[in-house]
Amino acid sequence: MTVKIVNLKVNGVDKALMAKPETTLLLALREHLGLMGAKRGCAQGACGSCTVLLDGDPVVSCLVPAVAVDGAEVGTVEGLADGRTLSDVQRAFVDGFATQCGFCTPGMIMSAEALLERNPDPTDDEINEAISGNVCRCTGYEPIVSAIRDAAATRRASAEARV
Amino acid sequence: MLTEVHVPDDVTAALSLMASGAKVMAGGTGLMPWLNDHASPPTELVCLRRVGLGTVQVSGTTARLGAATTLSQVERDASLGVLWPVVRSIASVPVRNLATVGGNLFARQPHGDLAVALIALGARVSVADQTGTREVSVEDLVAGEASVGLVTDVAFELPAPGDFKYVKAARRRFNSASIVTVAATITVTEGVVTRIVVGLGGVGPRAQRAKAVEAALLGEPLTAATVQAAAEAGLGEIAPMDDAYASAWYRTRVFPVHLRRALLGH
Amino acid sequence: MARVNPIDGEFFKSERTSGFNVIGTTVPRSDALGHVTGRTEFFEDRTFPDLAHVKIHRSAYHHARIDSVDISEASKVPGVLRVITYKDVPANWYTVLRLIGIEPNDEPVLAEDRVLYAGEPIVAVVADSEAAAIEGAARVKVGYTALPAVFDVEEAMSPDAPVIKQAGTNFFVYEGHHARRIRFGDVEEGFAQADRIFEWRYSSAPIEHAPTETTGCVVVPQADGRLIIHTNTQAAFFTLDNTALILDRPFTDLRVKGGTVGGGFGGKVDVMVEPLACIAAALTNRPVKFVYTREEEMQVSSPRAAERIYIKDGVLDDGRIVARKIMLYVDAGAYSRHSPYGTTKAAAHLPGPYTIPNVYADCHCVYTNRTPSSAMRGFGVTIADFAIESQMDRIARALDIDPLRFRLINAYRDGDMKAHRKVASGTALIEVIQRAAALVGHDLPEEYLALSSSTPGEARS
Repeated sequence: MTVKIVNLKVNGVDKALMAKPETTLLLALREHLGLMGAKRGCAQGACGSCTVLLDGDPVVSCLVPAVAVDGAEVGTVEGLADGRTLSDVQRAFVDGFATQCGFCTPGMIMSAEALLERNPDPTDDEINEAISGNVCRCTGYEPIVSAIRDAAATRRASAEARV
Repeated sequence: MLTEVHVPDDVTAALSLMASGAKVMAGGTGLMPWLNDHASPPTELVCLRRVGLGTVQVSGTTARLGAATTLSQVERDASLGVLWPVVRSIASVPVRNLATVGGNLFARQPHGDLAVALIALGARVSVADQTGTREVSVEDLVAGEASVGLVTDVAFELPAPGDFKYVKAARRRFNSASIVTVAATITVTEGVVTRIVVGLGGVGPRAQRAKAVEAALLGEPLTAATVQAAAEAGLGEIAPMDDAYASAWYRTRVFPVHLRRALLGH
Repeated sequence: MARVNPIDGEFFKSERTSGFNVIGTTVPRSDALGHVTGRTEFFEDRTFPDLAHVKIHRSAYHHARIDSVDISEASKVPGVLRVITYKDVPANWYTVLRLIGIEPNDEPVLAEDRVLYAGEPIVAVVADSEAAAIEGAARVKVGYTALPAVFDVEEAMSPDAPVIKQAGTNFFVYEGHHARRIRFGDVEEGFAQADRIFEWRYSSAPIEHAPTETTGCVVVPQADGRLIIHTNTQAAFFTLDNTALILDRPFTDLRVKGGTVGGGFGGKVDVMVEPLACIAAALTNRPVKFVYTREEEMQVSSPRAAERIYIKDGVLDDGRIVARKIMLYVDAGAYSRHSPYGTTKAAAHLPGPYTIPNVYADCHCVYTNRTPSSAMRGFGVTIADFAIESQMDRIARALDIDPLRFRLINAYRDGDMKAHRKVASGTALIEVIQRAAALVGHDLPEEYLALSSSTPGEARS
């Protein structure tokens, strides 16, 4: 069994870790880099609790061997807030009561962030599709969809204000 | 137990690793769920992430997709609009960002809807091993039992506008496996079907071509009556199974409905 | 933004002794900031140097005698630290509800000479890595002799059924009785008075909670030998007490840290992972994690019980129910867990929120060779309600009475004697139906709108 050095740029910062063959990107983030935001809910790619951005795209990090993504850029929920200032999506989740137990929240937020990067004004249907891989068992999807809608509006308003 | 994950930089290196017994992994969405939680014989993986099979080329009416092209790439490629409804019916966004065109050909039913569509499109794959490269149809590849070498790309002729039909019945609108999937490429000339290829998913152990359905419709007009007759013919060539998504009984029962919706649009 | 429904202060004004300052206003969740930044600490969100992992070898049979257990191959797997069998469990037999006096201890932490359901834990493997623990668990070899299995509650109750429980009956014994019983009035006399008799059968399948975070814990041995249990249990003290009893150690040896649960819904109130993790931690003197895989969560974590319910009602032509007889079967699966209590809850809920002069109910807690069922949101009550309210709708339809009026006719009111010989109070059912009808534009005649739960019904036999 070979242990390999894996280099990642995580939330903009260069990191290196020693990965075993079975070390998934999820375990690399959690157990090697101490970033506990992404969760292990199923290790099957089915629940989305481990969703992070891999080179900008949301992926289920439990299905990605860490050694396969050496050199990649990874974005996690820990990288969203600027100090104590939350991202628009995070803020909308707090204000809109889009969290309950909180376990699905980091993955859900990463999927939402990725959606709004590509599509600043999504329809509800597009929001539903974007979070269809993120299972929530307690909050209910309605407040989550509505929080994402609110975050999109806030982002559009601040984009306009900047112009 | 996973003993090694190789990430070769080209196809030649991948083929030589395969020849020494390593298992191919494209997106990992099929293999990794099992490896994460279960005991397995010592397993070496060959990851296709860097071998250069992740590009889409469209020249004229021929589309050629590298086997490691992700479903999301297909979804974002302006020239592959014909496949958008297909890939959007498969899994979820964070899975489609990993899952690949080549990998979908090996997804076990009731997954593998892209394979169903590719059968209907008459797609062919290039299969490489250390002795060379050969071409086989997706239909034959998916039906085959034996290990086949490395699928390097998938090619098909883009159908004329409106000729390709696709319907997937599932438990939810997004991110659900197939109950019944119907894909078809049909040419109707002077009121009768002059060319038809039908692919089916969810109704058997593998994605399959529905030759009895095709035979029943060839030379006929597309009407409620002819499609009904074709569905009845099709019942003889499907073998649905019970699973968590639907019972075999239900699949058999609704197969004619979804065939009708795919072919007639209502 | 959050939607807030204003409080309607019109009802029961005299019963409001204080103003509501918080209900009806928006109060930010105290835990939301942690949730959206990923800083909320779930049990698994901490790393420990030298963390070891537990995986389980589980029964391949629904019901079998265990002839042999061979752990030699498992012990040889590189990284395996220890293989644990029932002999390593100081007090192997338990039942979670013994803390409130439920007997007998009917479940082993690890199976001894028999297994009663597919997936029952037989051997636990502790290893350096998760992969080694999985490999070790897979290499345990168990020899079985298959025994006839029982999967149906009524079949399990029949005299010809194989007795699967060591206590001698396939049902839980309530103070010497085969069921939790309700006897109120004379139900046969009620049926004799009735103009119509309606009898139907209702049944439900087991329901898995499927929490996003699977059941698990990390146990960290301290220098003095005490154990800190980081867990996602919903029942910290049940867990602490039962674990200490299983370990045969003083309660003060254990410290449970929990309260942050990634979805529970009742699925995390059994005591499933902590005892074995504690034993593993004590035997290896290393921090140990035992967390269910998704497959284990779906297959062996206890679901809501399947139930079967027969309801027979005697009804007068004017819509009054004069007798209700219920035979209710809770499928506890192989072991008690919380089902004896759930079955009692079902009995406590009968005959529903209606005043019926003659009631007879037998609520059976039945053992079968299925995955043990246990708590889940309103267990005992939820499925009984499904049956009762389905029954109410069907009777209303058969009598051609508006289903809401049918319920209003029979609704319990403050001061009514319930079948359990408790006087009903704070009922409010009539007002809730009236308001619900208004909200959906369902017209009720004046005399039904005039009803009130705080005034006694007229001559309701």
